[in-house]
Amino acid sequence: MDGLSLQWYQEFFNDSALRDSLFASLEIATVTMIVGTILGTMLAIGLVRSRAKWSPGANILMLVPLVVPEIVAGISALLIFSQVGLTLSIWTVVLAHITFSISYVTVVVRARLASMGTETEEAAMDLGATRWGSVRLVLLPGLWPAIVAAGLLTFALSFDDFVLSFFTTGEDVQPLPVRIWSAIRFGPSPTINAIGTLMMVVSISAIGLALLIPRLFGRRESGVKVLTAAEGG
Amino acid sequence: MRADYWTRFLIPPGVWLLALFAFPLMLVLALSLGYVDDLGRAVYGTDWSNYAEAFNPTYLPVLIRSVGYAAATVALCLLIGYPIAYYIARFGGRYRYALIAALVVPFFVNYLVRTYAWVALLSDEGLVNNFLVNLGLTDRGIQMINTPWAVIGGLTYGYLIFMILPVYASLERMSPSVIEAGKDLYGRPFRTFLHVTLPQTKQGILAGSVLVFLPAVGDFVSAQLLGGPDTYMVGNLIQDQFFAANNWPFGAALTVVMMLFLSIWMIGYLRSASRDARGAAI
Repeated sequence: MDGLSLQWYQEFFNDSALRDSLFASLEIATVTMIVGTILGTMLAIGLVRSRAKWSPGANILMLVPLVVPEIVAGISALLIFSQVGLTLSIWTVVLAHITFSISYVTVVVRARLASMGTETEEAAMDLGATRWGSVRLVLLPGLWPAIVAAGLLTFALSFDDFVLSFFTTGEDVQPLPVRIWSAIRFGPSPTINAIGTLMMVVSISAIGLALLIPRLFGRRESGVKVLTAAEGG
Repeated sequence: MRADYWTRFLIPPGVWLLALFAFPLMLVLALSLGYVDDLGRAVYGTDWSNYAEAFNPTYLPVLIRSVGYAAATVALCLLIGYPIAYYIARFGGRYRYALIAALVVPFFVNYLVRTYAWVALLSDEGLVNNFLVNLGLTDRGIQMINTPWAVIGGLTYGYLIFMILPVYASLERMSPSVIEAGKDLYGRPFRTFLHVTLPQTKQGILAGSVLVFLPAVGDFVSAQLLGGPDTYMVGNLIQDQFFAANNWPFGAALTVVMMLFLSIWMIGYLRSASRDARGAAI
């Protein structure tokens, strides 16, 4: 290596397999973000409001993925996919990522939901709103900063994830981190550093937004709270 | 508002987690009693020999080594992370938010890339050794890569933030007037720290230790990139069974044994987390 140049970035974008990997990773992270955020938000609302007898059981079911080492998660996902005969592809990666994003979203959204009362929703219903109307017009807008932050966190976690992707990806198009893994084992190359820097830009933008968005909604420090909540702090 | 309305929200995510998380975990348990047939396929069965093999003298040291490395990682994370969290929480002032963000953001640089950066630093012809040779401190450099310390260092670097965040959260919840009171009563800062601050942040320390310990035990990236065969961890062993040796039942058994090693920590953490959640919901 002599001097600075953008040669290795050019190499990255000229390599169509690497480009496909980048797009696959972005696609996986986007679908995971959307489905995971919807399911996780539903779970948070259900856990806080439902009085069902088995609701504490659902709470445990939600917490276990947060403490299980990722390799265990990867293996169980691999086993279920091979058991039901799903061919490994980027869609099996998506299924595995969604499963693990649900818990993170739930923890983040629940922290916000627990601090909100039900009075405004009851007032909305007294004024003639249907129950779903009160959820859509009062509850969800109140949760919105947490939902957006959780979604961005999920995007960054999915985009960066190596272990789960490693166990559940197919042979055709591999997500970027899996590609990096094989490249590193093949031998050092400046292209790896270029890929690493590109990935850094994507995930740092997502996480930077996740930290900023709750602030833009006028709640100081809640971005950090979002992350400390997500890490179980 | 009727309670059963809200129960409907639980059903889709609950079913998803049962089908794609709880049931697959049961499959791991079931397959650990299986065997590989003559065609090399994994078959479910009722065969305990995988467990006997997991505890034989070839593999048991790997399990113990993994727990040892993870424990050393927890200790290092606490030594490095606690002072950082402490100074930010107590003296960060209006920059606290920015300082925590500055710690969190680099954590989202891909773990593989971060570990790979250490390879470039520590390898035999790496930056550190080149520097030492140029200074004339050593002739051929010091072997740093492929040592236990490189692996533990990689793990510490990888999981440090999981210690800092919960410790920071517990320090922030603590009222500074308690420290003032402690100072008024004891005087010496160290005793105040030992008798006032430390007990008040016990929860944060415990949470941080579990959050570092659990992923560190199962990690295979650090040992693969920064270590060698002598520093293999149980994660490397498990991964080998699935991708190289093609012995899925034995890999499943090793996974179950690893989970048993971790179960006390997991259950303890789950109990305190579900207690917190109930408190938050009321």
